Amino acid sequence: MLSLDRLRAAISEALEYVSTQPDVEAAEVFASADANLTVRLNYTSHIPSNGVEEPKSTESFGLGLRVVFRPGTDAPGNGGRRTGFGSEPNDLSPAGVQRALDKARAGAVADPEFISLPQPDDIIPPPNPPSAPPGGSYDPAIMDVNSEQLVDTGWRMMDRALDAFGSAEDLLALAGQPDRIPDLGLILGGDVVLLQSRMAVASTHLPQVQSEQNTLLMAFATAMVERQNGKGSGWSVNGRLAGFDGQAAAEAARNAVAAAGLEYGGGRRAPTGAYRVILGPQPVAEILEWIIMPGLHVEMFYAGASPFLGRLGRDIASPEISIYDDGPLLGPELTPARPEPAEGPPGSRLITDEGLPAGRTELIRRGQLTGLLSDYYNYRRIRQDPNARQKLGRDPSDALAAIAPRNGYRPGNGGGRNFGSPPSTIASNLVVEAANGLPSDELLRRVGNGIYIGRIWYTYPVNGITSGDFSGTVIADSYLIKDGRLDAPLQPNTLRMNDNAQRVLNNIIAIGAHRRPTVRWSSDQVTWAPEIAIDGFGLEEISEYMDGVYR
Amino acid sequence: MPPRISAETLDTLRPGLRSLIAERAKRLPGLRYCDLRIEVREEKGAVAENGAPKAGSEDYSFDFGIRAISGASGGGPQRASAAGYYGRVLGQSDAANIEAVVWEGLEQAHRRAQASAAQKEGMRQRYPLLGGSLSDSELAPVPPAVDTVSAAYAIDPRSVPLDAVIRMAVDGCRALQDTRGQVVYCAASASAQLLRELFISSDGADIDQTFAQTEGFAIAVCSGEHGNFELYDFTGHQRGWEILADDYDNGPIKLPNFVDFCGQLSADAREAAAAPPLKPPERDVVVVTNPHFNTLLVHEVVGHPSELDRALKYETGYAGRSWFLKDLRDHQLGQQIASPLVSAFSDPLMEGYGSFRYDHEGTPARRAYIIRDGVLEEFLNNRQTAAIMGVSPNGSARATEAQLVPLIRMTNTVFAPGDRNPQDIIAEVDRGYYIEGHRTPSIAESRENFRITAVKVYEIENGQLGRLYRDGGITADSRDYFRSIDAVGNDLRVNPIPNCGKGQPMQAKRMSNGGPTMRGTARLTGPG
Repeated sequence: MLSLDRLRAAISEALEYVSTQPDVEAAEVFASADANLTVRLNYTSHIPSNGVEEPKSTESFGLGLRVVFRPGTDAPGNGGRRTGFGSEPNDLSPAGVQRALDKARAGAVADPEFISLPQPDDIIPPPNPPSAPPGGSYDPAIMDVNSEQLVDTGWRMMDRALDAFGSAEDLLALAGQPDRIPDLGLILGGDVVLLQSRMAVASTHLPQVQSEQNTLLMAFATAMVERQNGKGSGWSVNGRLAGFDGQAAAEAARNAVAAAGLEYGGGRRAPTGAYRVILGPQPVAEILEWIIMPGLHVEMFYAGASPFLGRLGRDIASPEISIYDDGPLLGPELTPARPEPAEGPPGSRLITDEGLPAGRTELIRRGQLTGLLSDYYNYRRIRQDPNARQKLGRDPSDALAAIAPRNGYRPGNGGGRNFGSPPSTIASNLVVEAANGLPSDELLRRVGNGIYIGRIWYTYPVNGITSGDFSGTVIADSYLIKDGRLDAPLQPNTLRMNDNAQRVLNNIIAIGAHRRPTVRWSSDQVTWAPEIAIDGFGLEEISEYMDGVYR
Repeated sequence: MPPRISAETLDTLRPGLRSLIAERAKRLPGLRYCDLRIEVREEKGAVAENGAPKAGSEDYSFDFGIRAISGASGGGPQRASAAGYYGRVLGQSDAANIEAVVWEGLEQAHRRAQASAAQKEGMRQRYPLLGGSLSDSELAPVPPAVDTVSAAYAIDPRSVPLDAVIRMAVDGCRALQDTRGQVVYCAASASAQLLRELFISSDGADIDQTFAQTEGFAIAVCSGEHGNFELYDFTGHQRGWEILADDYDNGPIKLPNFVDFCGQLSADAREAAAAPPLKPPERDVVVVTNPHFNTLLVHEVVGHPSELDRALKYETGYAGRSWFLKDLRDHQLGQQIASPLVSAFSDPLMEGYGSFRYDHEGTPARRAYIIRDGVLEEFLNNRQTAAIMGVSPNGSARATEAQLVPLIRMTNTVFAPGDRNPQDIIAEVDRGYYIEGHRTPSIAESRENFRITAVKVYEIENGQLGRLYRDGGITADSRDYFRSIDAVGNDLRVNPIPNCGKGQPMQAKRMSNGGPTMRGTARLTGPG
């Protein structure tokens, strides 16, 4: 992978060259080198399998230009200025820069809503660069991982899972004799993802080259005792390769064995109804990311597509909940949950891909909608929108800190930072916190009788983001709650959630004190999610016929 | 300066790469098989919002991916084998030394395969009971093909000036706008590309396929008494620029030109936004679903569970399993899972957005009947899963880009047409609902239950369409619903699905789905 010095040097040379072109009014140069190394797991005790299915990687490097071209004689609109984006892979030389510039010029359009490339003095209040954490979030061992080490991360997960399955006395009891244990249908799926990322950026308005390198190691495992419909999950987020132990797979296997419900003769069903539930960290993260967060972007207010239209500064949720997005993730309140407090937390970013300081955006503070995510383009656009006051609920000039452009990123496929994409608004690290965090056993006590939902799937905004309506299914790690304690495991795939984000946000009973960094599919976004107890959560019993399909 | 990258670039690279994969690769100790996919995509695209241009681009992408299957080092053919992969984005500067770049990738993939094979052996020894299912990486045989397949188009996507593409996006976007202010936001995009792929294997396969792909996207957000209503959809086909510039009508594929497509989407969105929300009854009702709705239904509830990687648990972690198969002995193959009126197939050889002659393992394409007369007949597979099941590969392995690992994918996957007039299917209903146009799905993990929302839901009373509702849809247990089907229309329509997500990292794949008008029993869904 290219060094940071090489990227920085290329940025300086490219900006100097592009800036001297007679038709260029302003330019931004972004260069990145990225790799995604993934090991997919597929173990089945009852079907031939590879265990480690795919040790693989993709990588790229290159540069991207955002360019403002001066008015030409034939250029209409916006004073004749045109804006364009062009990129070139695998070539940081002057020839590569020239090709990227040619592409930006060829595709340039007169966008009447374009104001300028990011200008720090246009952001009110001016952003303060955060102080760097000791060590950053960069691990040389992840950055330089070799093929054998990559493969080893996957087999380590396999080893931990097979060890957990093999030492589970409940499985022996279910199987009757050791050589029948494989017939229980033991499954381990999931993956280990290592992300390597280096970036540098500079522009006409931010001429000093800024750069950053990040690494992240995420593991997600799903295990099953399929004959019993026992399904469990485990995951981990690491900043350092040395800290990776594969225990996420052991956690998944243990949870699957527990969910197999030896004590209860298998998982139970629950009838359709409105329940008191506790959402575990994964469901909280999934509902937040798929249903709530899309409605907390400035451009969704611009488009009239947020369920929170006109409500900036107003109460939209229970006063128990606060949510913020935090690129640097340096807040001292996270320390108890940090896997490695001496290091920068995994996922920490200090600058955006527009060269602006990453920062903390308070989205919901004690139930009140206090901020929205934005990149620079949308930050400027909403300020010019004659209907902005109606869309936001406040005049944007009175809410500039609330909509400051702290989230202009260029995501790659599966994470990282990609030179081939112009910036857009992307959440970074999301943190959910409680006004009065409670321990898990107190949450259970408050619920009394209900359902603990540990993992959900395919949670989509079925009537559009605008409505807040969502549906999804409960697929693992879930239990009935009886008299304030976890009781029988819930049979996976037998309950469908049908509810609404705004209603859920307002029906919070209590929130757990402990937050867990939670990963999402094909993303490097980490959500620090607690357990949340909700009242009147809509659940529908489904798929009863499946009890008779395989006996 | 190196020459610019174009589809023709692959002509100059092909002989050297063929030699590298088919001959030189055999020098790697322990390598049992390898294949290379390398592709060039030349694409133009544009985006417009609220009637104004936002972006235009004319660019190429160039990338490759390698698979190696190798035995653990230090032994003979009896040692365990495993697969390793490597992928990379390429640039103009790589064309001159492509063989060195690909060789480096092959060595990486081989090292990964060897390391994985060695660990697999170790795991078998450490866990003699649970490690017994850890098997060698075997591929079902396919004859190595040498073939060239050309793209089909009337107007070469590369010949279209970028200005025309930008103008198309703007014109489409303006067609979404209205004069009464009901459309509060709209956006449109247009793109056209020529994609050329080479597949070269150590078995001797050497396949060259080129595809034209043209696509449009539109979204409108409309105000209404009951809140804003957003609607988006895609159009597109494996053809040239004519797909957006003109109407296209060929059998089950009927695509209006892009401006008309946008105008119709806007009209639908405005009409739905003005309607009251559906208040669903508590009981099951008769539903007549239209071809556009059945496009998503067949995709989610027939196509996905028929993917053998899901059925064999490969996707337990994320995309989910399939209720069609519990294990190799206990499954639904040969079982009546739907009404005898229901048949569904996947056919990459028919015209559609998921057409090809060979898949990304070099397997010749053929029609696979997933459901025939209500009986589950065949899974979509790749060479590895076909070997596990002991069946022939049916050519369903596809990747979104060459640098990514192929997954088992739908192709052109549809409900087969019946013989009923769709108007008669509605006319026979005393009380029921007509479900028009798909919106958003939420499907149970093994695809055994679904909730899919619709653009519009109409009451049917005495065989006539009545009042229109918004925010409605249907939900049902999959088998119960398919067994309830009592009428299948003769009006098959095939539509593009350009964004099917699967895999890690996720791959968004283009394909076609479709179906005719169908009638069954389900529960309606409303807001919440």
